[in-house]
Amino acid sequence: MNQRIAFKLNGQSVVYEGSAADRLLDVLRQTYRLTGVKCGCNEGECGACSVLIDGHLANSCMVAMGRVANCEVTTIEGFSQTKRFEVLERAYAAVSAVQCGYCIPGMILASECVLARHPHPTETEIRSGLSGNLCRCTGYNAIVQAIQIAAREGEGLW
Amino acid sequence: MVNGFSPATLKEALEIRARQQVIPYAGGTDLMLNPNPDAVYLFVNQIAEMKRIVQKDELLHLGAACTYTQLLEHPLTPAILKEAIALIAAPAIRNEGTIGGNIANGSAKADSVLIFFVADASIRLSSLSGERVIPIKAFYQDRKRLDLHDDELITEIILPTQWLEHYYYKKVGARKALAISRVDFAGLMTVKDGRIKHCATAFGAISGVILRRPDLDELLIGQTLAEASRLKAAYLASYAEVIAPIKGRVSAEYRKEVCLNLLEDFLNSNGIR
Amino acid sequence: MKPISQSVIKKDHLAKASGSAIYVADYDPGQMLQGLILRSPHAHARILSIEYPELPKGYFAVDYRDVPGINEVHIVKDDTPVYANTTVEYIGDPVMMLVGPDERELKRLLPQVKVEYEVLPPVIDVRDGDTVFFDYHFGKGDMDAALAQADQIFEETFETGYQEQAYLEPQGLIADFNQGKITVRGSMQCPYYVHGALAKAMGLPPDKVRVIQDVTGGGFGGKEDYPSILACQVAVAAYKAQGKPVRVIFGRREDMEFTSKRHPSLCTYKAAVKNGRVTALDAKVIFNAGAYTTLSAVVLQRGIIAASGVYDIPALKVHGQAVKTNTVPNGAYRGFGAPQTFFAIEMLMEHIAKASGEEPLAFKLRHLVRQGDETSTGGRYHFPVPLPAMVEEVRQMSDFDQKRRLYAQPQSGTTRRGIGISLWFHGAGFTGSGERDIIKAVCRLHKFPDGRVEILASQSDIGQGIKTTLCKIVANELNLLLDQVSYDNPDTDRVPDSGPTVASRSLMTVGELLRRAAIRLRSQWQEGKDQTVEEHFKEPDFVIPFYIDKFQGDAYPTYAWGVCAVEVQVDTLTGFNEILSTWASFDVGTPIDLNIVTGQMEGGLLQGLGYASMEQMAADSKGRIRNNSFSDYIIPTSMDVPLMKVKLHVEPYPDGPYGAKGAGELPLVGAAPAYMSALEQALSGPIYHIPFSAEDALKLIKQSRRAEA
Ligand SMILES: Cc1cc2nc3c(=O)[nH]c(=O)nc-3n(C[C@H](O)[C@H](O)[C@H](O)COP(=O)(O)OP(=O)(O)OC[C@H]3O[C@@H](n4cnc5c(N)ncnc54)[C@H](O)[C@@H]3O)c2cc1C
Ligand code: FES
Ligand code: FES
Repeated sequence: MNQRIAFKLNGQSVVYEGSAADRLLDVLRQTYRLTGVKCGCNEGECGACSVLIDGHLANSCMVAMGRVANCEVTTIEGFSQTKRFEVLERAYAAVSAVQCGYCIPGMILASECVLARHPHPTETEIRSGLSGNLCRCTGYNAIVQAIQIAAREGEGLW
Repeated sequence: MVNGFSPATLKEALEIRARQQVIPYAGGTDLMLNPNPDAVYLFVNQIAEMKRIVQKDELLHLGAACTYTQLLEHPLTPAILKEAIALIAAPAIRNEGTIGGNIANGSAKADSVLIFFVADASIRLSSLSGERVIPIKAFYQDRKRLDLHDDELITEIILPTQWLEHYYYKKVGARKALAISRVDFAGLMTVKDGRIKHCATAFGAISGVILRRPDLDELLIGQTLAEASRLKAAYLASYAEVIAPIKGRVSAEYRKEVCLNLLEDFLNSNGIR
Repeated sequence: MKPISQSVIKKDHLAKASGSAIYVADYDPGQMLQGLILRSPHAHARILSIEYPELPKGYFAVDYRDVPGINEVHIVKDDTPVYANTTVEYIGDPVMMLVGPDERELKRLLPQVKVEYEVLPPVIDVRDGDTVFFDYHFGKGDMDAALAQADQIFEETFETGYQEQAYLEPQGLIADFNQGKITVRGSMQCPYYVHGALAKAMGLPPDKVRVIQDVTGGGFGGKEDYPSILACQVAVAAYKAQGKPVRVIFGRREDMEFTSKRHPSLCTYKAAVKNGRVTALDAKVIFNAGAYTTLSAVVLQRGIIAASGVYDIPALKVHGQAVKTNTVPNGAYRGFGAPQTFFAIEMLMEHIAKASGEEPLAFKLRHLVRQGDETSTGGRYHFPVPLPAMVEEVRQMSDFDQKRRLYAQPQSGTTRRGIGISLWFHGAGFTGSGERDIIKAVCRLHKFPDGRVEILASQSDIGQGIKTTLCKIVANELNLLLDQVSYDNPDTDRVPDSGPTVASRSLMTVGELLRRAAIRLRSQWQEGKDQTVEEHFKEPDFVIPFYIDKFQGDAYPTYAWGVCAVEVQVDTLTGFNEILSTWASFDVGTPIDLNIVTGQMEGGLLQGLGYASMEQMAADSKGRIRNNSFSDYIIPTSMDVPLMKVKLHVEPYPDGPYGAKGAGELPLVGAAPAYMSALEQALSGPIYHIPFSAEDALKLIKQSRRAEA
């Protein structure tokens, strides 16, 4: 089944021609070749596929294309063009929070959402904000620290 | 041919629902576990009427398409509901998942539904031909068997707020976040002038449908705390008889024991010792 | 802190953070075909026939008849078939692969393949196993005399469960057969293991086999042996595809259910105690190997060598067996057999101490090995054993003594707290003489005329940061900027075999080789010239040669050390237990990068705590593993250990680069017993198995209540 679904993808207006029931994750990776969006489970349990829909964190494997009609979808590819990304990326670098990297695009978007909601987050707010993004490598400490650093360095950005 | 409808108004949605076979899609966090590429979805996430939160007297009206995040952030959401919601999944799922979807998914592990049970909430079911308001308990006929007609949508949950202030809630999952309930318990008790004015309990995740037995809770209503303490053993025994968990990832014996422990702790915490 | 320990921005940081790093699933499908594996639904059966449906154009089937070389995957003993031919030995044993352009179509077609089986009786429980794959004995001292003279004899059995590596990126490989040469690329730890396996299965000479590692989303041992199996399967498919590459990417369920895991174990330990000292230990260690041998021999070796833990026990008798069952073959997982035996010895020491009314920590400290002491295999602890100082650090950080006393008092309310501590080592590098006799690592440095230097080695960066640390070492010796030294993902056409990325060896062993290579290059440095230097492994002089047939000698040149304390709280109504805090001190020698090493320690520690508790996985009576998704196999989230403090204690190793020794596996190895020791205090009862669930906790609470009453 084919229909036209218009939405904004990383700032650009696009029209997806396909089924409204297709997974956003598959469409992002296959049609738009945005492979920074990772697939770790396909059932909402790991967060590797995280994207922003109208600024909110969502697991793209749990979203049907019809849901994003007229919405704004941001993947790591789009977010990495922002000032906020730069601050986050530098903070992650400062504590070497990136290991295998597979969870990281999702983690960075989750970090963005933590800071967007709590510009000066407590550790509990950070940990809670990351709780749907599994990381098997880091033990999470470095990622938590990175967000704390970004909150300090990015004064005014969030 | 299209296989997705994104109506902006309830009327439009109900018209589509009446006209053809569609699957209501709210947050997709249950549906997308088994996505069917050929499904025709009715996206209800942009229908303003289904996202309202309004208090009218002692009744709180929650739109069925309210997401968990929306409810967590809303000042009218009762504390017991917030506490249960805060323990559902994780932010990304809470941003999309809705209470209507939690109800219509039909699972006894649905954490927000437990609160609707213990509060004796009603739900509004709407179709082109009219609406019905039924107690949530009546909606669940059996495991995954719901009183939902093909042309209906759940449009709101009507939550009596009178007794919600004094509550007890505990979810037992396998970890501290992102965990499906293995046992879920909620209890409400209001004591005024030494007498129990209200007592309600509900158990989730132990059987096909959430267990809510007002007939058993009746025993304590109207009693003084001292009287209730004397009735405590009989009350617990009556629940021991009806709690018969199904086998799951954890044993039935364990689940039953936890239920009874929590029930007793609920009484203890209200001074019924 | 040495300057080399100062953290830098990791070489692969930006690519991974920005999402531009390309993992194997990210390559454009283009002309690529997909493969889908048909697996046995039976734990044990004979294959009578395989019947294929009419396949659409562009689709084809691959099975054992298509293997151009030998239908065996070369690992250690080569009993794993590429595709099953006569029998299937576990639920999930690969029977054939369906290949074609469209995944959905493959999924539709796969159930139409008809395999006729004659079902055979399976062995699911390791206690029923009668095929012993590996059987090892060793010991020292006079066991009989010690038992005869003992004041007390303790005998306990400990059980540990599966652990799934749960790397976030599932297994995946691409194979391409072109002009007589097979190329396999993707997610892996050991390109040359894959290379060796391919040569055998494809019947090709080494120069007709090329293996390239792609950015790898975690391994933890799970991508040590398994990619060799998958590579052979995909390569055979590519061979048949006639020039079109074939890709297989596992879904999470397939990955969790059918790829290798940590061996479940059963350890029966008997200890003799005389005058408050453990004088003898008789340890029987059984590992559930699963259906094929894969890496069980070496996993078992490491496990039993650690049987007596960090304690000096004069008489020792160790018997280890890896027993076949008709379940998924178990293989490598960070710690490699040692977490199982460390759980047993640490809990046994706890129990003996408690029985004699002594604080377990004090009891353990009285038994510690020291520098110069004999190891379990008659080797030597050649270097200082820093455990006493590390215990002191952890005690201070955690306020251990005070909490331990406090939680020993009667506790009221519906929660109970406890704190516990464990001590362990991890032998650095390969067990025994593997490095000298089998691996014989070689690496090279290539200097370009413009002065840039490239490292040529076969280590895989799987997140542990080896790309960065190796470059740091070379840059440091050559006085170059980090940017002037590069290290690409290994490609066997370009790099020599410096060995696999396993056994916490890469930095210690290959890092040291590269350091020496860099020194040589510096001494021969000629401006503007293209130069290459090569370095070969040489065993350090002090090592007492190891003989695996007798388990005699230095099993490891040196050891990394760990101490960890865990504070828990248990809900007595539900048994749910949570970690309040954990503190650890680790000695991995000189950290080549403080952040990187800290990250390894924290990540490993969390895996070890998960192993002890929430990471439950079991085969049912039919041999099927049902915990095959992230909703059924639970690993820790960011919320589960709210406070984790890790300290590095530095005891430099003279034969490692700048004093570095093995790091990667250490933090996981002994975390579980610290958790269980804390739980024992909170629950006032003994614990004999992990993972320990809420249900187990509730049972123990009732038991100890009954005991009190
Ligand atoms: C990783 C993960 C973790 C989870 N954790 C939890 C948890 O801790 N606790 C918990 O309770 N749940 C949990 N869930 C389940 C799920 O998130 C919830 O049940 C959620 O509330 C479903 O809402 P939805 O809007 O996403 O439903 P959808 O998937 O959109 O719909 C679910 C069902 O309801 C029907 N439906 C939806 N809206 C309506 C309507 N208005 N009228 C009629 N029918 C309707 C749909 O047709 C479908 O059959 C989890 C899910 C995932 C993927
Ligand atoms: S891939 Fe979407 S949550 Fe795991
Ligand atoms: S960095 Fe590997 S999973 Fe997070």
